[in-house]
This record gives sequence, C-alpha cells and structure tokens, in this order.
Amino acid sequence: MQEIEFSEFVGLISLLVILLPLFSFLLILAGRKGRGANLALINISISFILSVYLFFFIWNKQPIHYQIPWFLIGDIEFKAGVLLNNLSVLMITLVSGISVLVHIYSRTYMKDDLNIHRYWAYLGLFCFSMLGLVISDNLLLIYLFWELVGFSSFLLIGFWYTRPIASQAAKKAFIMNRIGDIGFLIGIIIIFSQFRTLDITALFGDMGLVKTSLVDKGLWISASRQMPEVWLSIAGLAFFIGAMAKSAQFPLHTWLPDAMEGPTSVSSLIHAATMVAAGVFLIARVYPVFDPFVLNTMVCIGAFTAFMAATIALSQNDIKRILAYSTISQLGFMVMALGIGAYSESIFHLATHAFFKCLLFLAAGSVIHQLHHYRDEHSLDFDNQDIRIMGGLKKGMPITFIGMCLASSALIGLPLSSGYLSKDAILINAFEWAGSRDGIYTMIPYIMVITSWLTVFYISRLVFKVFFSTPKRMSMEQANQIQDAPKQMSYVLVILSFFCLFFAFSFNPFSFESSWLWDGFSSNLFQKVNLYHWLIPLILNIGTAVLIFTAYKIYVKNDGMSISEKNIFHRFFIQEWYLNELYRYLFTVPVEKFSNVCYWFDRNIIDALVLKSVTLISILSAISHWCDRILVDGFVNALGTCAKWIGHFSRNFQTGKLQHYLISMLLVVLSFFILTYFI
Amino acid sequence: MLSLLIFLPLIAALFILVLPSRFQQHFKYITLGVSVIQFVLSLFIYLKFNSFAFAAGINKESQYQLLEKLPWIRLNLGNIGNLEIDYFLGIDGLSMPFLILSALVTFVATLASWEIKTKLKAYFSLFLLLNTAVIGVFCALDFFLFYIFYELMLLPLYFLIGIWGGIRREYAAIKFFLYTLFGSVFMLLVIIGLYFSVINPATGNHTFNMILMMDPANYADGSIFSAIAAKNLFGISARLLAFIVLFVAFAIKVPIVPLHTWLPDAHVEAPTPVSIILAGLLLKVGGYGIIRVCYSIFPDSAMLSAWWIGLIGVISIIYGALNALAQTDLKRLIAYSSVSHMGFVLLGIASSTIEGVSGAMLQMISHGGLSAMLFFLVGMIYERVKDREIANFSGLAEIMPQFTAFVIVAFFASLGLPGFSAFMAEAFTLIGAFTSEQVNGLIPRWMSVVASIGILLSATYFLWTLQRMFFGQPRLKGAADWLSKLSDINAREKLALIPLVALALALGIFPSLLFDKMNASVVAFVQLISGS
Repeated sequence: MQEIEFSEFVGLISLLVILLPLFSFLLILAGRKGRGANLALINISISFILSVYLFFFIWNKQPIHYQIPWFLIGDIEFKAGVLLNNLSVLMITLVSGISVLVHIYSRTYMKDDLNIHRYWAYLGLFCFSMLGLVISDNLLLIYLFWELVGFSSFLLIGFWYTRPIASQAAKKAFIMNRIGDIGFLIGIIIIFSQFRTLDITALFGDMGLVKTSLVDKGLWISASRQMPEVWLSIAGLAFFIGAMAKSAQFPLHTWLPDAMEGPTSVSSLIHAATMVAAGVFLIARVYPVFDPFVLNTMVCIGAFTAFMAATIALSQNDIKRILAYSTISQLGFMVMALGIGAYSESIFHLATHAFFKCLLFLAAGSVIHQLHHYRDEHSLDFDNQDIRIMGGLKKGMPITFIGMCLASSALIGLPLSSGYLSKDAILINAFEWAGSRDGIYTMIPYIMVITSWLTVFYISRLVFKVFFSTPKRMSMEQANQIQDAPKQMSYVLVILSFFCLFFAFSFNPFSFESSWLWDGFSSNLFQKVNLYHWLIPLILNIGTAVLIFTAYKIYVKNDGMSISEKNIFHRFFIQEWYLNELYRYLFTVPVEKFSNVCYWFDRNIIDALVLKSVTLISILSAISHWCDRILVDGFVNALGTCAKWIGHFSRNFQTGKLQHYLISMLLVVLSFFILTYFI
Repeated sequence: MLSLLIFLPLIAALFILVLPSRFQQHFKYITLGVSVIQFVLSLFIYLKFNSFAFAAGINKESQYQLLEKLPWIRLNLGNIGNLEIDYFLGIDGLSMPFLILSALVTFVATLASWEIKTKLKAYFSLFLLLNTAVIGVFCALDFFLFYIFYELMLLPLYFLIGIWGGIRREYAAIKFFLYTLFGSVFMLLVIIGLYFSVINPATGNHTFNMILMMDPANYADGSIFSAIAAKNLFGISARLLAFIVLFVAFAIKVPIVPLHTWLPDAHVEAPTPVSIILAGLLLKVGGYGIIRVCYSIFPDSAMLSAWWIGLIGVISIIYGALNALAQTDLKRLIAYSSVSHMGFVLLGIASSTIEGVSGAMLQMISHGGLSAMLFFLVGMIYERVKDREIANFSGLAEIMPQFTAFVIVAFFASLGLPGFSAFMAEAFTLIGAFTSEQVNGLIPRWMSVVASIGILLSATYFLWTLQRMFFGQPRLKGAADWLSKLSDINAREKLALIPLVALALALGIFPSLLFDKMNASVVAFVQLISGS
C-alpha cells in the first residue's frame, strides 16, 4: 500500500516537472508582448530542483513505474504513465539543468528582441516535450513528445521567420525529422501488431516480450502472434531511422547545420545538448529490438557519420556550422557505440557531450553577441559568425576564451577533461569489439581514431582563428577592446566549464570505470583487454599533441604552412559532400515534378474523362432529340397529315347531289358482288 | 429527441420563410440559435450515451438508443403484400459522434455565413434544410427514410453552390449534382432489390428496415440478395454487385480517387460556409454510409473486396497528397488534402480490425473539425481581399499574427502532429491496416507502410504553404490596399475557431472521449462483418 502511494507521489512530482514548462508556454503566449522571462526561468528552475530530487530518489535504486488508464480500443487498454529509471532520471536532470543555464544566458542574449515572449514560450514548449519524452513509459507517448520536440524545434529555428533562410531551415528540419518520425511510427506499428502492447517495461524489460520472443524457421514468434522474420529487422531499422533523423545521422543529417539559423542559445540547448540526443536515447530505450544486422548497420552509419561530419567541420568558416558538424560527428560516436553494444559508454558520452557542446555553443554565442554589438557601435561591416575575420579575442574575453578552451579539450579528449573519460571509453570498446570480428568491421576503430584526430584539428583551428590569429576587417587594438559578455552570460560559461572537467564525473581522471555515471549503466560486455586501456589513450594523445602544434603553426604563426583552398578535397568538404544538391536533384525536384504530373493527369485525364462522358451523353441526347423530332414526331405528324388528306379526299364525296350518291352506292354494291362471286 | 434534433432546423427554415424580408438581418441569429440548441442537445445525448456492450447497436435493434419507430407508409399492394415503410430513427456508437460533429460544424458554418450578403431568406432556409437532411441521414435506420434524407441533401447544396458560389458556380454545382446523383440512382435499385429480398419476421411483410437487412436469416428463400441462394446478375454475384453499387454511391461522396474530381471544383466555387459543410459533413456521410450500409448489409462481399478498397484508400492518400503539393490555389490545396485524409478512412475500414475501424471513425470526426477549420481560415483571407493564390501572399505572419497562429495550429493538426486528433486517427488506421494480415488476412502489410508516406507528404505541402504565404518578409500582390483590408482575426471568427481547436486537442490528448463511447459498437461491427 505504502509503495503504491509512494510511486503515485513520485509520479505526481515528475508530472509537475514536465508540466511547469508547459504552463510557461501557455501563460506567456496568453500574456503580454515582450514579457515572460521571469516566469519561464522560475518554472524551469523548479523543474530542475524537482528533477534533482527525483534523481537522488531513483538513481541506482528501484525504478518507479506509475501509470493511469488512457483509452481503450477493443480489449486493449492503453495507459499513460511515467517510467523513472537510471536513464530517465539522468536525462531529466541533464535536460532541465542545461535548460536553466540556457534560460539565464538567453535573458541577456535575447534581450533586445521584440518578440521575446514567443521565445520564452517556445522554449517552455520545448522543455515540456523533451522532459516528457524521457520519462514516458510507452512508445505512443514517446512518439507524441518526440514529434512535439520536432515541432518546438521548428518554431525555434524559424524564430526569426521573416528571414527566408530561417523559415526555409525550419521547414527542412521538420520534414527531415518527419522522415524519421515515419520510421519510428512504422516501428511502433510493427511492435504493436506483434505484441499488442506499447508499454516499455513490458516490451523491453529484462524478461520483456521482445527478449522472450524468438526467431524460428523464418518466423518471428511472440506469445500470441507471429510474422515473417524480416519484420524484426524492419522494425529495428525503422526505429533506427527515427533515431537517425533526430540525432542527425547520415543521410538524414542535413537539417542540423541549417538549423543554426535559429538563435545561438537555441542551438546550444536543442541542437547540441538535448534534442539531438533524443535519437540516442530512443535507441537506448528500445535496445532489445535490434538484431545483429541492424546493430551492424548502426555501427557503419555511426562511424561514417562521425568521419564525414568531421571532414566537413574542417572546412567550414561559419563558427556555428563548424560546431553543428562537430555535434553530428560526436553523435556518430554515440550511435556507433550503441551499435557495438557499448551502451553505458554511449550514455556517458551523451552526458559529457551535452555539457561541453553546450558550452562551446554558448561561448561561440557570446563571441557572436559581442562582435555584433561592437560592429553596431562602431558601424563596421563584417559577418559576425565568420571565423576568417575573427582573431585576437583572447585578451578582451578571458572567460569566454578559457571556457572555450576547456570545452575544446573535452571535445578532443585531453587528459583531465570529461571527454577523455567518455570518448576514450568508446574507442577502447570499439577496439575490443573489433577484436572479435573480421572483414570490414576491423576497420571501424581505426576510422574512429582518425576521426578523433580530425576533431582535434578542426576545433584547434576554430580556437586559434578566433582567439589568437590577427583579425581581418578591424585592427588588433579594436579586437582587444571587445569585452567578455555581460555577467549573466559569463557566469553560465563558468558553471558549464566546471562540467567539462573530470571531477564532475569521476574521481579518477584516467579511468572511466570509476565514473559514477558509467557505473549506473554498466554491464560488462567484453573481455577487458588491459593493453587497450592505456595504449589507446596514449597513442591518441600523442597524435593530438602533434596536431595541435601543427594547427598552431598554421593558424597563429602563419610560418609558411598553409592549406590550399583549391584542392579537390577542400572543395568537396566545404560543399558538405554535395549532399544538399544531391537530395535536391534526387528527391525535391522529382517529387515536385511528379506532383505536377499528377495534377495534370487529374485535370486532363480523370476529369476530362468525366467531362467526355458528359459530352457523350449530350451527343446521345442530340441524337435522341433528332429521332424524337424527325422520326417520332414525324410519324405523328404524318398520321395527322394523312388523316387530313383522307378527310380532304373523302370530302369530295360529299357533293350534295343525289346522282353522285346513287352512283357511288351502285359502285359499292357492284364491287361487293364482284368480290363475293368472282374472287 | 432525435426528431427534435432533425426537425428543429426545418421548423426554423419555415419560420424564416414566413418572416417578412425586413427582418433579414436577424435570420443569421435564428440560424445560430438553432445550431447552438442542436449542439447542446447533442452534447446532452453524448453525455447520456450508454457505452456498454449491451448497448452496442449495429445489428441488434434492441441495442440502439433513442429509438423512434412509427409506421409511416402502409399500403396494401395486393399480391406482393403490404408496403411497410417506417419512420425509424435510432443511434449507436457509430452514429452518435456524427451528431455532435454535425452540430459543431453547422455552428461554425453559420458563423461563416455572416459574409453572405444577398438573398438571405433563401440562403438561410436552404442552409437549415441541409442541416435537417444531414442529421436525418445519421439517424435514419429505415433505408427508405435514409434515402430520402440522403437525396434531400443534394437539393439545397445544389442551390447553395449555384447561387452564392464563385465565378464558375453553375458548372461546379451541376457537376456536383450529377456526380452524386449518378451514384444514388443505382443505389435506389439496390434498395428496391433489398426490399423485395428481406422479410420482417414479425409481420411477414417486406421491409426497408436496415437492421433486419443485416441478418441473413431475414432474407426470403430464393430472393435476389439472399446469401444462401447466391444468385448471379450479369455474370457476377448479385450481392457483390449490389455491394459495389452501394460502395460507389457512397465512395463518390467520400470521395475516392478516381471519382473525386467534383470535389476540388465544388470547393473552389462554393461559398465558405458551404465548403465547411461539404468537407466537414458531406464527406463523412460517405464514410458513414460505407460502414452502416455497405459493410453491415453485405459483409461477405465487403470481405471479398477488402483488398481493392484498401488499395483505393492508399491511392487516394498518396495521389491526393501529391495533387495538393501541385496546387497554387490555397482552397484547392485543402480540397485535395481532404481527398488524401479521407483515404485513411477507407484504409481503416478495409482493414476490418478494431484498431482500423476506430481509427477510421476518429479520422472522420477529426477531419470534420479540421477541414471546417481550414476552410474557415481560407475563407477569412478570401473575404478580405477576394484572392487566395498562394503566390500572391508572403509574410502574412507579420500582418496577421493571431490569424497565423490559428493557421499554424490548423496546419500542424492536419498534418498529424501528435496531441491533435488527426495523429491518433491516422496512427490507429495504420496500425489496423498493418495488423490486418495477422488478424484476418485482408490487407497486405505494405499498404500500411506505403500509406504512411502520405503523412510525410502532408507535412510537405502544409509546411511549404506556411513558408510561402506566412513567413518571410510581408509582400502582397495588392500592396497597400490589401494591407489595409487584411485585418487580424475578429471576435466572431475566434468564436468559430476556438471550439474546433478545442475539439482537435481534446480528441488528440484524450481519445478516450470518443473511443470509450464507441468501443462496444466498433467491436460489434467488426464481429458482424468478420462473421465471428
């Protein structure tokens, strides 16, 4: 009894966690223009505090599952509820925590915007849907929040909707995500028709329906139903497609760089720390459904995405676009890690990444913000997001600079940083995994190592260009005058910097196994190969040191070494592998053309047929009209005429003369006798 | 109760006819009053509605609710027995939701009628007559009565489009009229055939009672539609032929590809309130007819045709969406999107699973509200500047922010954003279609997968429109003149739109509001048609 009350109590608290941001959405939209900053901040802060409370309640303890009836179809009752286990409490704490920081940051960053109330409202909607997503206990609810996340992201990317690029990017993001959503939906449909339930615990729990279902003689058999085996793989792929779109994996990643048209604070919250992690989260939630085929696909796609995005990040010049591709690349790491079964490492990296990537974006945001103000004050003219014109900002913006450096070192995975723990853990696992495979899979860990080194180079390039090199379009003195962002923004950077260091996650800076976070999910999968555990980080870091030094030579010292912008790789990378163009010619244009063909068909074939049949009927009616007039009417008229003519004719007999009557009588009698006797 | 619901508008129409024309400015208030009373009544019916399994309805007369049965026409026809036509009304879980929808859509359409400025007396009496006919169709259980109401809908619609419509109104009106008449004339033959086949076991007479027609035991030995006699007509089974005829008659209304071409023309030319009624209610009469008449009376033939009906559904979904993508006229775009969305109804019904049929029912109610909302919104722009070419507008979000907010809600609700009713409807239709192969083997799984592409396409055309018309910098074809005319949404318009938003949200978040009420009926229906 007490237990039920307790889970009800926890359920209510978690409901409060997700509903508070929804209230801010509704109230702020109903309220006055330009208001809402305080309400939004207060609500999300309470959410955060409650999340932390829940975290300490649930973490490494008994998960809590609380549900209420939702609706009934046939004899199947759908329930809505919350499922709080290690994964979901970690996620709500992470999401609400970063949201609080971004809310604080945005107060200054978005201060001058006229439609700021919409910004707060949308942010509230986003937090509501993201928090709802991570604590939902069944797939239908997750899907509901999943799409709401996409919708709020649509609103936020298109926040400055009068800019055509922004509204274009918003549309693209939503439609790309829709492709994934359909995958997710098909996955749900398959699971539902196989197992008659969508409850996560029942499906994917330790002795859940998915684990107890078996594949036998080409059939996938559950307790009550069966279908061909191929649908198991299709279900896995469908869920994975869903995750691919949200987590921006190749080939559905192209929306994320465009999404940078939204405000930078939004990019940091949604497109770096939280929403894009939803895909990884989904994979983690439905993990048992993936069969080896899908898992291998996941490894390949993740590794390829990580590599491809890193190469593109090397060549970009827009500070936010570099970071966007960096996000895609890191998400590739996480997806690959899930594919090889490094579940806990992946979640661990998700958490550390959320902090350092958020910090990178917010630091970039304060650079953009300060440059913007400086430009307006001194009526200069330059693109405040282009790293080619930046430089020398180290002196005036120490906090931003240090924050950026710490975040970068975490991204690179330098020792003592949080990234060192999580990313190297993934790489070590990749080597261990590849040890038991052959063929192409042995390549995977090496690709990941190369990708890590690419990461080192592009992020060093960014840091050196922005903070060290000589600025274009303004003098070094001018650049030095640019100050750190206002306090509210800078404090946020300081707090986030703390989480880029190892001690936020582990007491031992060199061993991910001693991290409390990793421990919360761990299940030892592979034979631990001790050699890898010190060799891989060592080799990685030696390479890293060399690369940082090279980048320093190229971008700061400018002593002769430079990378030509003409070579074919550079062009290929800066055009983002020509994928946007490819999609345009493969999908957008053909669909548009095809829809026009359909419309032509509709008008000129189907509708024309209908009209033709009408014409046919009118021809028929013309013929029948003719018949009517000439034949039927003609016949009737002819009868009349005939009668008239007979009348005329017989009138001639009525002469009134007796002799005529006698002679006709005689003729009649005579002809009667002739007819009777002679014929 | 049902009679009151049906004939209240008729009484009001007669009242309007006898009132002198100088009161014509008050006609709309009378109509509005009628629709409000109807709404309250239907809400009352909803609340009192019994949703237990013993009140499921479908093929058991005693389980129908609010029954009204009066002998209407009794004629001794000599040796073919007594003509028995009843005034027979009643509702079950499959018709009750439509009563609320009818009342709500009529309410919204009345508010949209504020823009009608000419011949008000004729307009409002026809409008109310139409209302009577629509509600009558949903309540009638006697096939003869059903047919009368069904045909009665055509007459006012013909005049409403033909008199108050746009430039090509006569063309659109006659096209609509002929299309629909084409279907219903053959329907009459089937009705007569059914009449002579079915015998009321209580009286021994032939009967038009639809519920009796659903029981194979009531068919006379050797009669044309008797399942046991299995007679042939023109080389195919008579029952199958009758099913096809009835299906075509109703499918024209739904509409299905390729019998849909009346719809874009009728919508484009019709005045806003008529578009609302057309999309919100008339299309649903088609879907309702397929469930109540085609499937319930000829379940055996329905099972045989399921594959084809599913295919038609899928084609309608994809083809309608592709056509919508190609449109330059906003109203035509929405008309084609209706074709696409109604395709889900067919797919759900064809699956003959509980999930599929529930999804189809929810889709009809949801689409009824959402299409009414979409047409109302288009009408708002059109009334202000007499133009609705997508290319002639840009950046409307800056000019009419509140209006745009409603548009965003309507668009996203229609494209199936979870939280709104269309999502639940489409999801369950697809689930039903997918499960069908396992449950009854009627529809292959690929149909469900292909149909889901329709959801992607609907996102594409709605978002593209949003981007072109509402986002970006303000730029209008009519420049300053239009700018002054494009005032933001007013109180009357809000009053019309808010109930529709509420309906979409309520059914999206708490689908139990509908599912729980009709579950017993859906289960009974599926049992009836699958014969178990």
